[in-house]
Amino acid sequence: MPHADSGLARSRALRFLWPLAVAVVGVVAGYLLSVGLSGYFVFLAVSAVTAAIAILGLGIVTGSAGMIALCQLTFAAVGAWVVSLFNVLEVPGGFVVWLIAGGLAAGVVGILVGLPALRLRGVNLAVVTLGFAAAFDVTLLQIQFPGSKDGIPVLRPEGFSTDRGYFFFSIIVLAVCGLVVFWLQRGRWGSSWKAVAFSERGTASVGQSVQQAKLTAFAVSAALGGISGGLLAGQVQLPFASSFTPLQSLALYVLAVMSGAYLIDMAIFGGILWVLVPELLKRWGVPQDWGFVIFGALGVQALTSGTNLGQGIRNLWWKRADRRAAAAREAAKADAAADRAAVEPPAEASAPPAPPAASASDEPALSVTGLTVQFGALKALDEVSLEVPAGSVMGLIGPNGAGKSTFVDAISGFLPHASGTVRLGGTALGRMSPTKRARLGLRRTFQQDRVPPALTVDAYVRFVARRRVTAEEVAEVLDFFGCPPARTRLAGVDVGTRRLVEVAANVLAKPRVLLLDEPAAGLSHEEHLELGARLREVPARYGMAIVLIEHDLDLVRTVCSTLTVLDFGRVLASGPQDEVLADPAVIKAYMGETEML
Amino acid sequence: MLQGALAGLAAGGLYAVLAVCLTLMSRLVRVVNFSQAATGMFGGFVAVWLVTETGLPIWLGSVLGVLLAGVLSGVIGWIAATWLSEADTTTRSAMTVGPLLLLISLSFILFGNKPQPFASIISGPAFTVGGVVISQVTLVTVSLAIVVAVAVRILLTRTAIGTRLRALSERPTTAELLGIPSKPLSIAVWVVTGVISAIAIVVVAPTQSNDAISLAMLIVPAAAAALLGGFKRLDLAVVGGLVLGVLSGLVAQIDEVSLIRNFLPFLFIVVLLLWTQRKEVWDAAR
Repeated sequence: MPHADSGLARSRALRFLWPLAVAVVGVVAGYLLSVGLSGYFVFLAVSAVTAAIAILGLGIVTGSAGMIALCQLTFAAVGAWVVSLFNVLEVPGGFVVWLIAGGLAAGVVGILVGLPALRLRGVNLAVVTLGFAAAFDVTLLQIQFPGSKDGIPVLRPEGFSTDRGYFFFSIIVLAVCGLVVFWLQRGRWGSSWKAVAFSERGTASVGQSVQQAKLTAFAVSAALGGISGGLLAGQVQLPFASSFTPLQSLALYVLAVMSGAYLIDMAIFGGILWVLVPELLKRWGVPQDWGFVIFGALGVQALTSGTNLGQGIRNLWWKRADRRAAAAREAAKADAAADRAAVEPPAEASAPPAPPAASASDEPALSVTGLTVQFGALKALDEVSLEVPAGSVMGLIGPNGAGKSTFVDAISGFLPHASGTVRLGGTALGRMSPTKRARLGLRRTFQQDRVPPALTVDAYVRFVARRRVTAEEVAEVLDFFGCPPARTRLAGVDVGTRRLVEVAANVLAKPRVLLLDEPAAGLSHEEHLELGARLREVPARYGMAIVLIEHDLDLVRTVCSTLTVLDFGRVLASGPQDEVLADPAVIKAYMGETEML
Repeated sequence: MLQGALAGLAAGGLYAVLAVCLTLMSRLVRVVNFSQAATGMFGGFVAVWLVTETGLPIWLGSVLGVLLAGVLSGVIGWIAATWLSEADTTTRSAMTVGPLLLLISLSFILFGNKPQPFASIISGPAFTVGGVVISQVTLVTVSLAIVVAVAVRILLTRTAIGTRLRALSERPTTAELLGIPSKPLSIAVWVVTGVISAIAIVVVAPTQSNDAISLAMLIVPAAAAALLGGFKRLDLAVVGGLVLGVLSGLVAQIDEVSLIRNFLPFLFIVVLLLWTQRKEVWDAAR
């Protein structure tokens, strides 16, 4: 269909071009403002722009990556310090080079400060950053900015040396920063930030290093802080420590939270508020300190309700769009179901799955020997040994508490104290981290929802796939599993569907072995059978072995060629499906649990 | 040298008291309260105002200020217990950044940003050991830290209300289902820690740099000290506070390393975190 193709290409070009267009419009508007505003407002406007860039950075670390960083203006001070120093030293390249150097220096400081907090969650980073802010503030008062004693003003960039010119320059910097942040948020890093904010395990299990995700978020955020500070140094020309106090960092954090600064427009809005509120108070003759009192109160409101301005507005907008999309999806599903019912026999009636075709090498995809996991006195897994033939679907069944999920956790590297050996297609996994295992081709899904809701289906699938995939490939795998279209936001779909998307995305990653932990929980009976039928085709179609944990024996019978039964952490039986199901020990163990056999 | 170390001990006692309060809050109501020192600071400033402007006796002004600090802390606790009762520690802690900002700014408006003329409640030397003077303030703060830590431990392990508090912190929903009044109890924890922190701050403030920022930012060394006990162990929190105080007293004596002094709590935090978190740990929840 040439028509559809050209439409797709056009929409892709549009998606690439529209942020550029927005940036250009912003710069033009900035130019008009720089000409039209009165001198006083031009100065205020530069302050708003510097604040917006700092808040943009905070949006990444607090909004997207979900960490508390309370030293954004300390990073700004680092940037301003470097710019002042380069100015005094008359480093060649001029202001633009100094500004970039300031941003990079702040980024490096950000990495150093973030390093000890990398393995930590949440609140420890807040303690570290507040400590850093307090310490740096006192130090800055003692050492001062380079050139401030002799009164050497920071030279502004050539051609932008007037206040109006400098405002236009700052708008260009803001536009560039906005574009960079937009593309980063859209890309792998952005996905990893949103993933790590939602679930660290989920992030590690798709081969993304949790540390790297946190570190990049922190570094980019600090670099933006540094650029903001450098810009401020050029604005005031003689920066002082009083512009970078910890109190202002706290206020900036609160402002970022309440405006929803991970959205670029809201970061700019936050920057405007940063200047507007004190200015209004000044005009009304109210002490300007009331501004931070207001920010503090609004911040408490935002943090207790878990909402922010930008998200609130967007939610209102999306609610309508979602309802329409959901209705369309239901209609399409009903059509598709009707079609299939007419053409195909239902999945249950099909013959039991054939054993896997002998692959090139007869090496099993996954072989486990003597896997033991002990929680205190309880042996959750006791000398479990099994082999998953390449290109097969193995069912892992057993009553509740048999150790199925522990097995998946141990294989995927989340239980470092597990003993025994696990080999993935001949490679011994030893004590490898979950991230490394995932990169070697061992993927898993979770029983709980670990799909980050801040992403779109498309961004999530690409993030999980960890390889270059075309839009067609994404659409194909989503369609294959009956998932919503790629443009859908994950926040708008139910948990059962999210987990279906999780399965689809991991299949697209083409691992050697995919461990599915009750993928059908949360789906209706029809969807359940549908998924089973799809999973049967996966090994041949995408070339991987699947280990399926499932309670529904009907489904297991139709999908799995081999079965392993766990009970009290031991392997009760393992082998071809019919043999295992006929095993008296299995029947005995299962009779009390289910009447289906 | 020894004199410097012991001079730091007074501050160390203050860090220790605050660290014990932080640890208690973290254990019982799942929060790292960033406004812990700020509420005490605000109460102390009100006390100073009451004494200097309205002519109340020092003891009465101080008592009223300390009570106000308890009420303020209770209000923050009420917010946390009402709207964030199911939220995780990070969200609850992030919320307390708001009051920290608010209280500092409000104190700027009401009392200006200059150090306050705190009148000493306790002053003078307590005793002399080997030519080194131990001040009464040092004695009071250090013993306050130890007494609070011991009292809390006894309360938690030996009394019925302690059992309830532990149940509340470990299984909030179950505790509620058992009929434990979770909201009043957790607000009470906030009030009590607010009062204790304020007492310590009012006692030490006359001998410290006592502007709003310095006092509110006492949260940093306090958090550093609490980290030594992992926000769990009271005894280590006390030790952490005292060690940090002595260290900064020592460093203050040596001119060459005076810049390090500012970074001491920060470095303390960083080293502790690197040590305690050297292994990757996957918690079940995330």
